[in-house]
Formats: sequence, C-alpha cells, structure tokens
Amino acid sequence: MTAALLRTRAFRDVAVVIVLVFGVGSIAMLLAHVSPFDGFYALIDGAFGTKYELAETLVQTTNLLLPALGIAIAFRAGLFNIGAEGQLVIGGFAAGWLGAQLLLPGYLAVPMVLLAGVVAGGAWGAIPGFMRARFGANEVIATLMLNFVAALLTTYLVTGPLQQGGAGAAETSPLLKAAQLPTLFGTQLTWAFVIALGLAFVMHWVLRRTVFGYELRAAGDAPEAAKRAGIDLSRTALLAMTISGAFAGLGGASIVAGELHRFNTGLSPGYGFIAIAVALVGNLDPRWIVVAALAFGALQSGGYVMQAEAHVPREVVSLVTGLVIVALAGRRVVAAQRST
Amino acid sequence: MRKRFGAVQAVDGVDLELKPGEIHALVGENGAGKSTLAAIAYRAIQPDEGTVSSDGVVGLVHQHFKLIGRLRVWENVLLNREPRRGWAIDAGAARARVRELGTTYGLQVDPDAVVETLPVGIKQRVELLRELDRAPRVLLLDEPTASLAPGEIASFFTTVQDLARRGTAILVVTHKLAEVIAYSQRVTVMRAGRVVASHLTGETSAEAIAREMVGGEVPALAARASTSVAPLLEVRNLSARSGTSALREASFEVRAGEIVGVAGIEGNGQSALSDALAGVVPFSGTIVFEGTPLRPDDAPASRLARGIRVIPQDRRHEALVLEWNVRDNVALGRQRTLRLAEFGAAAREVIERFDVRPPNPDALAGALSGGNQQKIVVGRTLISAPKLVVAYQPTRGIDIGAAALVQSRLIEARNAGAGVLLISFELDELFAVADRVLVIANGAFVGAFDRGNLDRGRIGALMAGHA
Amino acid sequence: MNATAAALLALVGLTLVKATPLIYAALGGVLSERSGVVNIGLEGILIAGAFTSVAVSAATGNPFAGALAGIVAGMLLAALLAFAATRLAVDQIVAGTGLNIAALAAAAFGLVLVFHQPGASTEVPALGPRGQTTLIVLAFVAAAALHWVLTRTPWGLRVRACGEDPGAAESAGIDALKTRFWAVVIGGAICSLGGVYLALAELDLYSDGMTAGRGFIALAAVIFGRWTPLGATGAALFFGFFAALQFTLQQAGIPSQLLQALPYLAALVALCGFAGRVRAPAADGLPYVRH
Repeated sequence: MTAALLRTRAFRDVAVVIVLVFGVGSIAMLLAHVSPFDGFYALIDGAFGTKYELAETLVQTTNLLLPALGIAIAFRAGLFNIGAEGQLVIGGFAAGWLGAQLLLPGYLAVPMVLLAGVVAGGAWGAIPGFMRARFGANEVIATLMLNFVAALLTTYLVTGPLQQGGAGAAETSPLLKAAQLPTLFGTQLTWAFVIALGLAFVMHWVLRRTVFGYELRAAGDAPEAAKRAGIDLSRTALLAMTISGAFAGLGGASIVAGELHRFNTGLSPGYGFIAIAVALVGNLDPRWIVVAALAFGALQSGGYVMQAEAHVPREVVSLVTGLVIVALAGRRVVAAQRST
Repeated sequence: MRKRFGAVQAVDGVDLELKPGEIHALVGENGAGKSTLAAIAYRAIQPDEGTVSSDGVVGLVHQHFKLIGRLRVWENVLLNREPRRGWAIDAGAARARVRELGTTYGLQVDPDAVVETLPVGIKQRVELLRELDRAPRVLLLDEPTASLAPGEIASFFTTVQDLARRGTAILVVTHKLAEVIAYSQRVTVMRAGRVVASHLTGETSAEAIAREMVGGEVPALAARASTSVAPLLEVRNLSARSGTSALREASFEVRAGEIVGVAGIEGNGQSALSDALAGVVPFSGTIVFEGTPLRPDDAPASRLARGIRVIPQDRRHEALVLEWNVRDNVALGRQRTLRLAEFGAAAREVIERFDVRPPNPDALAGALSGGNQQKIVVGRTLISAPKLVVAYQPTRGIDIGAAALVQSRLIEARNAGAGVLLISFELDELFAVADRVLVIANGAFVGAFDRGNLDRGRIGALMAGHA
Repeated sequence: MNATAAALLALVGLTLVKATPLIYAALGGVLSERSGVVNIGLEGILIAGAFTSVAVSAATGNPFAGALAGIVAGMLLAALLAFAATRLAVDQIVAGTGLNIAALAAAAFGLVLVFHQPGASTEVPALGPRGQTTLIVLAFVAAAALHWVLTRTPWGLRVRACGEDPGAAESAGIDALKTRFWAVVIGGAICSLGGVYLALAELDLYSDGMTAGRGFIALAAVIFGRWTPLGATGAALFFGFFAALQFTLQQAGIPSQLLQALPYLAALVALCGFAGRVRAPAADGLPYVRH
C-alpha cells in the first residue's frame, strides 16, 4: 500500500463519519421536531461558544482520551478491551475512597489519588488478561461481564460497608481539598488534561521506539510469527490488558479528583464505550486519538447544551457514536483471529 | 485469457485447449500463473479478458483441498447437491451414492468418516469423488501428487488414465517433469503468465521443458566445501505433537558443518519435528544441543538464545508481519539483541546479500513476491550466524531463481560451520543440497542415506512406509 | 405439598422464566456463529425487540402487533450487522459493539419521542401470563427446531460448511456471503423474541437498561454449550438458575448487588473452565473475502 492509498482510505472513513454525524443527526433532530440548523448550531456553539463551554469540551476530551488510549493499546496487542467502562468506574471508586481520607499535602495527595485509580483500574483489567493468558478465555465476554460486576460492586461498597456520605447516599464523602486536581486558566479544566496529553505522546513513543512496543505490536499483528520470534504471547496479553485497565482507571480517577470531587455511581455516561469509537476514529494511533477525543468530547459537551437549549435528546450523540463504530469496524480486523 | 492481481499480471494472453481423452500437462515454475489459469477454467475466478467455454461440466481438484474437516465424507462429496427426503437430507441415499461412486471409479472411502481424521491420500480421493459426482467432461488437477507417496502416485495416475479413456479431458497442473513425461500426451509450458511452448509429450524431453520453464539454464548452486564435522544436535526418542502432526520416538543427529535432509511425504511428523526444535510445542525424549540438553518447557526465546533458528513452513503466517516494512521484519527474532538504531543496517545487509527486490527497507513485506519474502526470512535467519538452522520447506512456492539463491546460502552456511536440518517434500532439492538424507515416515526415522548412496527407489519406498 | 418442595418448585419455575430470554438470544447466537459470524450485537437486538414491541403495542393497542414489530426490528438490526460482516468484511466484534451502543441510544431516544419521558415507557398492552407461558414453551421448541435444521436439512449443512471453511463451501457452489447473511438475520429474529418476552411477557413496559447484559451472557452460553442449540439451551438454563437464585436468596439477607452479580460471575467462571477445550466453528469471526 502506498501512502496515497492510505490517504484515500482515511479520507473515505472521515467522509463516512461526517455523513453519519450530519445525516443521522439531522434525521433524529427532525424526528424530535427540531430543525437541524438549530440542533447543530446548539451542538457546536454549546461545545465552543464560551470560555466555560470550551473548558467543558476539553474536560470531556480528557475523560474520553484516557480510556481511549487504553483501548487502543489493547487493540494493538490483538485484544478487545470492551471493559473500559468497568475499569474506569473501579478506578474512580478507588480514587474517591482514598481521596476522602488521605491526610497528605497536595503534592503527595493528588498523585496518590491518581495512582489509586491506576492501580485499581489496572487490576480490573488484569483479571480478564489473566483469564486470557492462563485459560485462553475470551476477553470480550469477560470484560463485558466485569463491567456489570464493577457497577454492582461499587454500588454495594458505596451504599454499604464503605459508605461515607450520608446514610443512603450512593457516593463517597467529598475529596479533601488537598486531593483535588488543581485547575487551569480559572476554569473547571484541570491538570488531568495535560497529563492525558502527555500520556498520549508517551504511548506513541513507547509503541514506536521501544522493544516493549515492538513486541506488543507483533503480538497483535502476527501472533504466530511473534511467538516464534521469542515473544511471550501470554505475558504480552496480561501486560496489555493491565495497562489498558490502568489508563481507564486513571480516567475514572481524574473525573473524581478533577470534576466531581467525589465518587458516585453515575460518574460515567458511558465513556468506556464512546472511547471505543475514539480509538477507532483515531486509527489506534495515539496522536490521532487525541484529535478524535477532541471531536467526540465536543459532541459530548455540545450534546448537553443541545438538549437543554434546542430540546434534542442527548441520546442522538450516542446513537451516532454507535453507528460510527459500525462504520469504522473495518479498521481493525484482529490478526489474532486470523492465525488460529 | 488475461488476469491481473494488483501489480502482478498473473495470466497474460493465454490460449488453452483441452481435448477429450487426452491428458494435458500444464507446467511452469511457482508464480508462472498455472493455478490461476486453472481457477479461471473452473470459473472460480473471473478473467479480466478472454472467454472460457466447455462442452460440459468442469471439475477441479485443488492443490490444497477444499474439504471441510469437521464434516463427514458424504457431506463433503454431496455438499450443495444433497439428496432429499421432504425437507430433510436423505443421508442413506447420500451414503449409497458415495459407495456407488467409489466402486465405479475404484476410489473407495468410508462415507461416514470425518474428513479431518483421514490421511492425505484418502482426503484427495474425497475431493476427487466430489468432482466426479458432477460427471465432469473436463477435469482439472492442480498439483495432484504433491502429498502422495511414490507408490500412490502410480495408482493415482491409473485412475486418471481410466478417466481419460472414458472420454474426459484432463489437465494436470504440475511442476514434476518425470510425471509429465510418463503420463501426459501433451504439455504446455507457462512462464511469467504467458505460454512459451506447447508440445506433444512424445516430441520433447524433461530437460527441454525445464529450460523452457526457466527461460535459460537453471542457476547453479554454491559449491560445497569440505568441512570438518563436529557433534551439534543429538536427538533420542523424540516424541511431540503439533496439531495433527506427530513424532513418535524419533532419533537422529545433526553435526556442525553438514546439511541433513529429511525426506518424507507431507503429514508424517515434519511439523512436529520443526515445532519441537523451535520450542513452540513440548516434547518428550531427549534433545542434546552442544552437549547440554534442551528442556521441553523451554520458550522459543531460549532456543533462539542458544543459536537454534527455525525457518518455518508458512512464511506469511509464521515468519513475517505482512503489514510491517522490510526493516522491522528483518529485526523480528532479534528485537531484544539488536538496538533500534541497528535495524536499518541489518535490513540493508539482508537486502544486499540476498538480492531482495525491490531493495527498499521501507517496502511493505506484504507487497513483495513470495520469493522475496522468503529471502527476507532466510536472510535474517542466516545473518545472525546461527549454530543450527532448521529449514522447513524453505523453497516452497517461490521461483527457481530465488530457490537456487536460498539453497546456495544454506550451503554457504554449512560451509561456514553451521548445522542445517533441511525438511523438504521435494526429493530433487534434498538430492542437490544434502550431505545425508534421512527418511521420515509415520513420525519416526526409517532410513539414512549418504550423499553418495542416494537411491530414489529405496527412499520412495521408505517414505511410503514400506520397509 | 410441604414448604421445601414448594420453594424448589418455585425456583424451577423462576429458572424457566429467567432463562427464556437467554435461550432465545443464545439460539440466535448459535445460528449466527455456526455460519461463521460472531454476533456481539445480541444485546442490541434484545433492546430493539423489547423497545419496538412496546412502542408498537402502545401505538396500536395490540400486543401481538407489538411482538411482530419487535421481531422485524430485531431482524433489521441483525441485517445491518450481517451486511457489515459479509459485504464490508469488517471486524464483527467491533461492529456488534457499535450496534449495541446505537440500539441502546436509539431506544432511549425513542422513549422521549414516543412516550415523552426518559427512563421508561408507560405500561402498555402486554401478552399476559398465557403469552408468557407460550413464549417459554416456544423457546424450547425453537431449540429443538434449530437442532433439527442444523443437523438434518440441506440449508443447515450449508450453514455449517460456511462456518467451518467458507472458501471450501464456495468451491462447492454455495454462496457463503448470502448464507451467512441469512443465518445472522434469522438468528436475529429468534433473539428478538427474547426482547419481546422481557418487555411484553415478563413485564409490560420498556425501561432503560432492562436487558442488563443478557445478550452477553447468552454469548457465554453459546460457548459453554459448544455452539449447539441444545447445549446453549442447557447453558442458558444454568445461567437462568443463578438469576433465579437471586430472588430466593434475597430473603436470606445477602446484599442484593452480590446476588445480581451471580449470573455474570457464573459466566466468568464458565469461560475459565471451558475456554481452551472447546472448538468454535473454524471460520467463526473471520471475515470471508472473495478474490
């Protein structure tokens, strides 16, 4: 394939996405008795109109970027992590619980709280990774099941034994001030955005320029050849799933430490699933994933405004996101399935 | 007839005519376009230009059988033409039909056997029966004897001659010139997608056909230097399984500075042998390499570290990452010992010494021809100066020029002191290259021949399992 | 009848009730995967069947019309996946995931459009207890029928051929892409009955998230049942048992979330135990592209 051909296919995919967004979006808006002009204006203006709204868009971008990077690394290793949602929730819970009681100054508390999210999310990702490495269990179903288990587990913990809020509240106590992520530019945007961007470029470098990245990509692109080249496929699978979960967990932690300042069971409107679209639109390349996260972040934040002001139900955004995933499913026919 | 696949003109202006009752051989080296032409004649592929016309049904027995392993013989033979009773399949009638076909053509098979449990020769019968059930006037056979023992080949051609006598027009696509001379009435030679010659078989010879196939002389191999042999690999009672391939208590030795050939029909344990040495499957028995035993639970990485390199049978799935470029593929296997900055130099070395075309380290491996892909695999293996090279079908499916280069490089590695275990299904290759030839049958070694005593008849008998 | 026997009988009955939607979804999954297409979108098809049946039942006042509409909706969604999998040869798991997201969102959107309220629909004319029993029995009939079709009919043989080796099937003259397409669509029709059951038989409304991952548990049942209709039905009963257990154990004071997690945990354990040892149809999940 020459570079020209690649460009054509990329353009075709982008065109498809644009058609879906504006085409299906318009139809849905018309069904809701709203003119597409009003609807899309509210959407786009709501995403970028004011300084506050732009900051909100970047917040949503961060919330999507982190799990998307995790999903991408799993994809590159030939695995499907459809459990980012659960890993995100577990990571957020760990961060919320720790952050409400950790008596340390800010420069220690914040990293610890984020680390809690990383470790918890990583562990939640390691479970299906281990199941795959040891038993050859299908990680698709395993990660999906664990999403439900994560939601139930955190609900149980937060309304029962680890309850910190008032009786009956499904949330943890507020984070201590020291554990909250500092903000940027006097808006609600926090340092989580910067961290996420930095991690995107770190991941790009690791994939391209380290032995670990080389072996991970080989395991994903040609598992039989990788095995014979001395690469340990089980270990790679476990590592990839753990790292994938860690990214999602960090995403949950940054929502808790940056936005909500507490954990509650509704902290994610499906970021773990939208992030799949972000990873695909970004063609599993961390640099493009940043751009895709921005686009979907705008859709998310604009969507809230669109619902409030133009009275178009927010679900239109999710509907279009799902269709985008279907349309771009051609981007990754997993090699692991090809070799068996 | 014209057909292009991407950048390759696979068939370039070919006319072919098959007459009833005649066995017509279509020869050419790998990549000449023979299989594509057969697929077009079978109407499995649409040509870009040209027409196909036949006076009746055309049948094709593929080189790699199109059988469904988990289904039974009768289900495969009558797939899509099943006899019915109401809405259901009439299994009894189906079995009866298979037995009837078997008797008519002398190709008996148990209709209820599950195909994946059958030996290769019987599987071929099933595929043949499937085509014969359609009463073809034309029968195309693509490399039909690739997986048959010498004895089975004779009986196979008896069947074919019988079919010809009944009036079927037969096309045999093959590169085995001995069979062409013995069994065909007419031979057409293809090279690079074109027909370069067409003769009555009686009016030509194997040497003439070979020259026409290659378009000149067959390239000579590297010279063999005298070497001092030293113990390298000692295998006793090795048993291993890889998929359906099984090794049963096999014993042999390979010494440094020699090429040991393993002759055998596909499916007699070669894959298990290769995979056990690679560390991809566990084994029982003893393997001693350079004086220390190898452990059955070794990972492939530890075999690589000891200097054991395996060139696998399936370069596209087991050796290369087709989506990557040449440079990254050359590094595969040594990604932990080579520094990233050295990848480029290693790639250039392989490209130069192994004549890889196009000579571009950024070219995608998937875009290269089979011969060039194989050169990359063999090249990266040999430039790491391995102590033991296990080469499994290293010239499979590549053109004669690339094959000669690969064989020459293996000889040069031997001259430099490496031990080479050459597993091949082509006796000609083994006879040209090996110092000793071992024969494998049913997972064990049943004979050994020195270079000076190579006896094709004896070896063929041993390969088929006759003492 | 003494109390223990009554409790056991109730448990059996509840198992059947809980297993039925899983059976329908699993049967749809079996048919699809035997032809070579992994249908992760079973969850979305359940949602489509559930929501559409409720919406049409509300609009027409006729639950049977609703059921029929639910089946059609399931088939349309399955057709979308089937088209993507066969003609576009995309990654089937990714496409199925996208469909699930889209279906959930479309249903939520539909709630606002049709019922003018988010979260759940109003109560609608439903199939009642007689309808519920019929659908439970029908599930087992469907399992037996699918078993017969796959093992004894020409079309069933062709479906199996496509799932093992579509290239070989095509060389016998079978149109592998068309066969796969219809296997997925008919499987979608069967699966959608599970959604209709949930919304119009077990209950009489649609609410956001009511399918609760049953479509995914059904996939585990397909694997656990070795890709056979009878095996998958047995596995679905197994998972349904755990769901039924939830109600029984609730009296014992065990936290409700742990009980709700039982079916998911059971699926996880089943995956570990069975994963490496069973063989899927050889071409399962592999897109087939004609040269």
